[in-house]
Amino acid sequence: MNPKVAFPRSHLSCLLALGLLLLMSHTASAHSEAGNVGGFVSGFRHPLTGLDHIVAMVAVGLWGAYLGAPAMWLLPVVFPVVMAFGGALGVLGVPLPGVEKCIALSGILLGLAVGVAARPKIWIAAVLVGFFAIFHGHAHGTELPSSANPITYAIGFVVATGLLHLSGIAFGLLVRWPWGRVAVRAAGFAIALIGFGFLFDLIKA
Amino acid sequence: MTVQGMNHFTSGALHPLMTPAHVLVLLSLGLCVGQHPPLRLKIPLSVFAVVSGMALGWTMTGDIAGVHQAILAGVALVAGASVAVGSPLPMWAKATLCGAGALAIGLDSGADSGTGLAVVSTLLGTWFALILCVLNGAHYVSLAAEKDKQWIHIGIRVAGSWIVAISLLVVAFALRKQGR
Repeated sequence: MNPKVAFPRSHLSCLLALGLLLLMSHTASAHSEAGNVGGFVSGFRHPLTGLDHIVAMVAVGLWGAYLGAPAMWLLPVVFPVVMAFGGALGVLGVPLPGVEKCIALSGILLGLAVGVAARPKIWIAAVLVGFFAIFHGHAHGTELPSSANPITYAIGFVVATGLLHLSGIAFGLLVRWPWGRVAVRAAGFAIALIGFGFLFDLIKA
Repeated sequence: MTVQGMNHFTSGALHPLMTPAHVLVLLSLGLCVGQHPPLRLKIPLSVFAVVSGMALGWTMTGDIAGVHQAILAGVALVAGASVAVGSPLPMWAKATLCGAGALAIGLDSGADSGTGLAVVSTLLGTWFALILCVLNGAHYVSLAAEKDKQWIHIGIRVAGSWIVAISLLVVAFALRKQGR
């Protein structure tokens, strides 16, 4: 019997088609914020451009998964709505004090909550997450480009934020296994460290 | 709203699907009507069909130039909020939401130009597509919600909260634009 396994033809066809698709890409559409697709891409990329935002979103998902039901689904339902409220304040130019510091603080507190496996009452977790969501939303809102298509920008923005939560929840589901619990708590401490880094930078500046 | 290379009916039918604000409203209405099985479509869908038909007919007079995006987002916001909260709405509230959505989308879907027959054909296409979208949305959401799986109910509520978040931002964008 031949131990060698031939590379399946269907896989080769897929690879060739993928290569062809890569060759067909062009640069012009990569920089446009106008139009439906441009607005969506621009909005989708926005929450993914700042590490301070990313770690906090992931921490929300991680914490939710750690707390289990109903927190696991309550936090992803509450967060986008409250964040959009903060975003609306930012878009309308309503000032909010200490936005950047609160964002850094959110990384620290949410990361520590995951790291020490804190299990507060659900309403306390929801209020804490909601409080920080306003600042994250506000920061995004003030940075939104005016050239983007409003509705597709908002769709991309909310979908990207939601997917960050879901990735946090997916990672957080590892807590079912003992080694996963260690990995999730370690991730929480890493997030808190990143938050400290941002806060340190802000205080130093 | 005419799409090059298509007949007027198809072009009209594609219009709601190519307008993100309309998709948002139709999706929120579908979720709202179908979230709590058993599916009761008779009243909300009748209201939707009648009001959207009347609104589309009204656009033929040329009096309406379109609907502000904030109004469309407002309807999606209320319907999305009811889905996110998760408690069933009374039938009159569902019917009112369907009526408001149908009025907003209908008035925003006027045919730009063409002969009388072309305009009627385009609007007829839009009308069929609007009804089909709500009908399909509600039907499939209801089918999914009938299954005794918690993650499906959570998914529907998360979708509702995303619609609320998107609508809030769109309303804020519209207000900022108006303030300038």
